[in-house]
Amino acid sequence: MSRHGLAYEQAPPFGVPLLFMLVAPAFLFAAGVLAMLPHWTADLLAPRTVALTHLLTLGFLGLVMLGALTQMLPVVGGVPVPGAVWVGRIAWAGLTLGTPLLAWGMDAMHTGALRLAGGWIALTLCPYLAAGALALARARSIDTVRGMRLAVAALPVVVLLGLGLVAWLRGDWQPADPLRWLERHAIAGLAGWIGMLVMATAWQVVPMLQVTPPYPPRLTRALAWGLGVSLAWALLAPSPWQRIGHAGIGVGLVAFALVTLDVLRRRRRKTPDVTLDYWRVAMICLIAACLLFLTGGPHTPRLLAGVLFLLGFAVSVTHGMLGKIVPFLAWFHLQSRRNGRGAGLPTMKDFLPDGAARRQFRLHVASLACLSGAPFLPALAMPGGALLAASAFVLALNLVRAARLYRSHGGGF
Amino acid sequence: MKQEVLVDARWLEPPEPMEKVLAALDLLRPGQHIRFLLHREPFPLYGMLENMGYAHRTHMLADGCYEILIEPRVRA
Repeated sequence: MSRHGLAYEQAPPFGVPLLFMLVAPAFLFAAGVLAMLPHWTADLLAPRTVALTHLLTLGFLGLVMLGALTQMLPVVGGVPVPGAVWVGRIAWAGLTLGTPLLAWGMDAMHTGALRLAGGWIALTLCPYLAAGALALARARSIDTVRGMRLAVAALPVVVLLGLGLVAWLRGDWQPADPLRWLERHAIAGLAGWIGMLVMATAWQVVPMLQVTPPYPPRLTRALAWGLGVSLAWALLAPSPWQRIGHAGIGVGLVAFALVTLDVLRRRRRKTPDVTLDYWRVAMICLIAACLLFLTGGPHTPRLLAGVLFLLGFAVSVTHGMLGKIVPFLAWFHLQSRRNGRGAGLPTMKDFLPDGAARRQFRLHVASLACLSGAPFLPALAMPGGALLAASAFVLALNLVRAARLYRSHGGGF
Repeated sequence: MKQEVLVDARWLEPPEPMEKVLAALDLLRPGQHIRFLLHREPFPLYGMLENMGYAHRTHMLADGCYEILIEPRVRA
């Protein structure tokens, strides 16, 4: 284990994160198919909108993030995740089987399916969360690890609030103001889990893989603490503190996006790179989403804020990270298996050729443009959904190509 | 024959630095060592060097880059 670096020898086999990443595009594809039907464009809380949201958050983002964490935690924290192979497989089964049932239950408002899927997902995430928490408790305290601790602490809050909302829909629980609980569920999930995890990961992977200057340490420290405190306040009952919490989350995420755009601008190598374009799109969408969230307003801007945050920010970052991390890990695991004597092995570009990556990016941006307009012009839902499904299909093809190439050169899972 | 082989991989994208240094190790002759320059400390490389039978010493340079001296491990 290295004192403050990347301890790859602690990481689980490549097959553990790859299993999550190979299945995740199926959920993006399903979200695209569902988005083709315009019912979701009317209301943020329409059953179809909620189902779509969970296909993206739990299905696509959840799978990629949990898979990536099994590799990232040992690499940046310097400690292995206990039982990574098994807790990973259980969580994978939980999301892969539970998310379609949950999304169907939401779309059809079938409370029995919601309870079964919610319980199954919560149960299967428990071993993963316990193992992740143990690893994070032992990990060296750098800002990335602090951010990951916050993100992993937010996830059980999201799950518990989600289970509470299912109980409310079934009539088993009657809170005074269920929409407040729904808002807390969304804030803990979007800002606490997704926002915090992306931010903490970016502090490591952007300088390393995009060859940029490091993020200013004072900023990463302030964001790790500031977002944690803001999140805690935002989950309180309606009060001035809660409003300060909301503002703190928005300001923190905008600051992160602006600094990311700045470090990307100051990168040392000025060669075109599609993963860089994903990061830029993601940060611009994050800023726009936060500004819409902070300014509030009627349903349509809120729905647009949701599209910009989930599809524009989180899904774009995920595409960008997968485009770097999967080829890099495939290359690195092959090199390690040959003890560095890897002459004749595929390069990173062989694992993900530029042309294939660029096609995926164009489809993703076109889907984002259409789906951002759909709340105002529902006819755009059809082409937007089709483009989203197409981008997921191309992503799946690119990942399968990388996995097959890895295997054909003796890579094991 | 030069005793020192310089591999300057500063500001190259991963995994180019590692590819360059591994290629240089393949061509290393007896008595030679590698002076590897990089903008980040190459932690993933250390385990590989260990397994391949090389010793390394790392220094941070004044500009924040790293100098890694790599040579075959002397058997006791």
